[in-house]
Amino acid sequence: MMAIRELKVCLLGDTGVGKSSIVCRFVQDHFDHNISPTIGASFMTKTVPCGNELHKFLIWDTAGQERFHSLAPMYYRGSAAAVIVYDITKQDSFHTLKKWVKELKEHGPENIVMAIAGNKCDLSDIREVPLKDAKEYAESIGAIVVETSAKNAINIEELFQGITPCVFWSSPLHSGPQKAGSADGSARRRKRSTLSLKCNLRFLHELGDFLRFMSPDPTLGPPRKWKQWSNQTWEAKHANQPAVLLIEAHGPLYLKKPEPPP
Amino acid sequence: MESQACSRASLEELSSWTMGTCSLDKQGSFFKLIDTIASEIGELKQEMVQTDVSLENGLEPTEAHSMVRHKDDDCSKEKDVKTCPRDSGYDSLSSRLSILDRLLHTHPIWLQLSLSEEEAAEVLQSQPPGIFLVRKSSKMQKKVLSLRLSCEFGAPLKEFAIKESTYTFSLEGSGISFADLFRLIAFYCISRDVLPFTLKLPYAISTAKTEAQLEELAQLGLNFWSSPADNKPPNPPPPHRPLSSDCVCPASRQLCLINGVHSIKTRTPSELECSQTNGALCFINPLFLKVHSQDLSGGLKRPCTRTPNANGTERPRSPPPRPPPPAINSLHTSPQLSRTETRASMPETVNHNKHENVALLGIKPTPIPPPRLKKQASFLQAEGGAKTLTSSRPCRDQECQLEQEQEPSTAGSPGGAPPAEARGDCTRAQPACSESRPPWHGGRQRLSDMSISTSSSDSLEFDRSMPLFGYEVDTNSSLEDYEEESDQETMPPPIKSKKKRNSSFVLPKLVKSQLRKMSGVFSSFMTPEKRMVRRISELSRDKCTYFGCLVQDYVSFLQENKECHVSSTDMLQTIRQFMTQVKNYLSQSSELDPPIESLIPEDQIDVVLEKAMHKCILKPLKGHVEAMLKDFHMADGSWKQLKENLQLVRQRNPQELGVFAPTPDLVDVEKIKVKFMTMQKMYSPEKKVMLLLRVCKLIYTVMESNSGRMYGADDFLPVLTYVIAQCDMLELDTEIEYMMELLDPSQLHGEGGYYLTSAYGALSLIKNFQEEQAARLLSSETRDTLRQWHKRRTTNRTIPSVDDFQNYLRVAFQEVNSGCTGKTLFVRPYVTTEDVCQLCAEKFKVGDPEEYSLFLFVDETWQQLAEDTYPQKIKAELHSRPQPHIFHFVYKRIKNDPYGIIFQNGEEDLTNS
Repeated sequence: MMAIRELKVCLLGDTGVGKSSIVCRFVQDHFDHNISPTIGASFMTKTVPCGNELHKFLIWDTAGQERFHSLAPMYYRGSAAAVIVYDITKQDSFHTLKKWVKELKEHGPENIVMAIAGNKCDLSDIREVPLKDAKEYAESIGAIVVETSAKNAINIEELFQGITPCVFWSSPLHSGPQKAGSADGSARRRKRSTLSLKCNLRFLHELGDFLRFMSPDPTLGPPRKWKQWSNQTWEAKHANQPAVLLIEAHGPLYLKKPEPPP
Repeated sequence: MESQACSRASLEELSSWTMGTCSLDKQGSFFKLIDTIASEIGELKQEMVQTDVSLENGLEPTEAHSMVRHKDDDCSKEKDVKTCPRDSGYDSLSSRLSILDRLLHTHPIWLQLSLSEEEAAEVLQSQPPGIFLVRKSSKMQKKVLSLRLSCEFGAPLKEFAIKESTYTFSLEGSGISFADLFRLIAFYCISRDVLPFTLKLPYAISTAKTEAQLEELAQLGLNFWSSPADNKPPNPPPPHRPLSSDCVCPASRQLCLINGVHSIKTRTPSELECSQTNGALCFINPLFLKVHSQDLSGGLKRPCTRTPNANGTERPRSPPPRPPPPAINSLHTSPQLSRTETRASMPETVNHNKHENVALLGIKPTPIPPPRLKKQASFLQAEGGAKTLTSSRPCRDQECQLEQEQEPSTAGSPGGAPPAEARGDCTRAQPACSESRPPWHGGRQRLSDMSISTSSSDSLEFDRSMPLFGYEVDTNSSLEDYEEESDQETMPPPIKSKKKRNSSFVLPKLVKSQLRKMSGVFSSFMTPEKRMVRRISELSRDKCTYFGCLVQDYVSFLQENKECHVSSTDMLQTIRQFMTQVKNYLSQSSELDPPIESLIPEDQIDVVLEKAMHKCILKPLKGHVEAMLKDFHMADGSWKQLKENLQLVRQRNPQELGVFAPTPDLVDVEKIKVKFMTMQKMYSPEKKVMLLLRVCKLIYTVMESNSGRMYGADDFLPVLTYVIAQCDMLELDTEIEYMMELLDPSQLHGEGGYYLTSAYGALSLIKNFQEEQAARLLSSETRDTLRQWHKRRTTNRTIPSVDDFQNYLRVAFQEVNSGCTGKTLFVRPYVTTEDVCQLCAEKFKVGDPEEYSLFLFVDETWQQLAEDTYPQKIKAELHSRPQPHIFHFVYKRIKNDPYGIIFQNGEEDLTNS
């Protein structure tokens, strides 16, 4: 049986930008009848296999009207990720998005992963928000950005896939067998552990600046592959390309919680 | 012999039948199957009874019989046979110990979860083949069965992994699964299934004649294996027939009967329903395990017992000590009722035994496990004899009340009648309701519906006739059970029931009656979960245990010290923290016997403990907490504010509240109100949340009103606010707070948490409905709440200790002329007797404190405590002694004529207070 990781995702954004449409599309495509449906569309769940784990998204929708704004903290508390949605045909909704980002940075949970979704990209002929603006803004705050269409099911899966690895990067994790080798120190040969991450390269690059792999046994030194990886220079053209990163190490790998960049 | 051959044949038929069903998913064939199984079992039982009689009378001593005949105490048992009539296979339980009993009593010997592989090998090395241990493998992170093999197998021992699913235990590779570890082991003592041969109990255990002997052995624990008590039989029997004539139980006869059966892969109906292909299968084993072994030995004295006398004398050490049975006793000893009970629980045997039954009624005082009262009622009504139940008994009122409590939850569901209707005559309303229940309730998991589909024992509430766990079936449990139903009843999540069960489980009456035949069989499963919850709540009432003391002290401390919390949130959070910590304590302590791991699959342990906490902490505190919450809200003015604003909001039309979706009409609002009212009666936050979800579901249904449109929070939250305002229930505020703070924090991220948050948000909006300027104020307020929640979650995670809560000390205050009063004081471990005396003087309002001192009353003697001693340490020391001691701290006059005090009275006051 695979372990299930629960992942609370909070949806923010102006009313009418299509928050719930995105979720409905995500949850209901490839609908698995074995999984119990929720009572309504405000709260939905979806379980996605990921490596040797199952990731269960618990998606909390919020009411976008101004009058409910003050309730948002109750919804985003404890969230691992926030998906902030704007409508590419409405400049106002992009402003609201910026307000949400600001609020999350000030009052949101630490390490919350932010993903920006420019919805209704099927209506790009009446677009008001250029993709370039959104990308620049996202880069400035270290968030993922995609343009989606709930109507035509464009980039919906990608949006949620995009936040998964990031979320687990930013929380402490370990991989491989917990006890490497036998308890007595004599055994020099230890099991190799590998950590594979499917992730957005650009995001890895950014994280790389402040992530540290920790090996519990100082004599082992840092994992070899990590060195290679960290010395590599990253080119901008690789950004946003999906990639699988395989990290091998002698002994267990631990990922240290990222410290906020200075 | 002929009958046996016949039974074998029929079993084979049965087996082929059940094998065939693996692929069956049509209902028709399924019911046919049930019918077949029922009749087969009926026949089997009849045969067993017959064979037994012949055995006892010594008419046909056959080979098989002689093989299993016991040298010991057969004669004495035969007397019992004559005095006690037999009415069915189930009820003819003897005092002889079944394998299951033996396993239960001796688990400290063979259940060694912490043992390493090496240690296990060492223990088993010196044992004959077939001897086993159950331990937890650190390698596999699973429980394993370590079995000693005989030399021809090469290795001295082999390990078999035990698979734990959500509800069952099974051996890896086997298709047979069991409700708990004991049943699993008991089964493999009889049938080898995937093992190379059957398991064998150590000689001393298998030959012990009384429970006391077993208890004595169990005291040795792991030392048993190296002690002289573990003497081996002179000639160890060969491994392939470990349970032969010179050892244990009548199990070998079971072998004959069961051999034909053990390869059967039977599915429980729900598994059939799901038609999964790879899951483990359930096997109806208790019937065979119990009835056969018991019948053979011929005795009829019941081992377990609704009679407290027998209980007390037979097993002086068996835990846990019982509280005195409540008045409900009388209900179950009434002969007339016991007849009904028998028949209700064993409907399929009625035919063969009818005459016997009726004839023997008068001379049959043996109490029979009572079925669920509701079942009883419906049965009686079906028989047209409902009047018997309406006779006045002390417990009736209570039951009615409980039943009422339960009723609205049924009635409150869509399509159900409002509670007022159901309340009219509770005994009558119940069965009627269960019959007319709309399909939606098909999933209600009641035996009155005979929805045996729900294998996962939760549903099998009909659990009374479970004599296997001898000592825990006791007289007061039926009331207990009933209460459980009022609140702890398994409520299916609102949507699943509708979708899944609807399709397959609307049963026509005819089918129901057929299914009823099976009820006796299924009733043998009592859900381990319920059993555990009940045991924990019993333990919590037993002040001789550390856990009981902890809980009782905390409960009384809270009730007596109203001023100890500064706010409602503070109070609820302390209670939540207490529950979490007690849960941690329980999962680590050894006070639960047998250990919870042996009864509950690991991933369910927390769920079960949480339920138990609700029952033993929230249930007694519910009234107090509610009153306190109300007081707090009155005091800080939020009650008044909410009241005024509710009025204001109710006058607005939906559009002004931002509602742009269809809203519930008056009828729907009424329905919702009913659900909210039901919610108020529940003590379990989980159950309350379940009702909240139903309310939300109803709102969605109205909103969608066949349009097929999905509504997100943009539309839902305004409608919820509107509905809450329309309901006009001030109490909702405290209800939401209660749920929010007391719900298991791990559930706050789920669906329940979401709608709870939404309801809280809606109420905050109403409270702050002073046009738009209120927004800012609210914002800071909610942020405060947020911070507190965050704090709570982190504290729960980091301190798994009960330290904060063991600091209570119950002190009695004794005056010569005014008797005894008790108070629970907050006393830290390093507070001296001197300080406690000062505190007592204050609390008991003593004018001349120098005349008084703190005494310890233990083992019938009084000791005055020196000023520099630490009462908490003394208490801890007393608790840590192997034998439980009854002790009291008493604050009284120093110069007292010791004989002038009537301390018996005092003691009673204490224990009752």
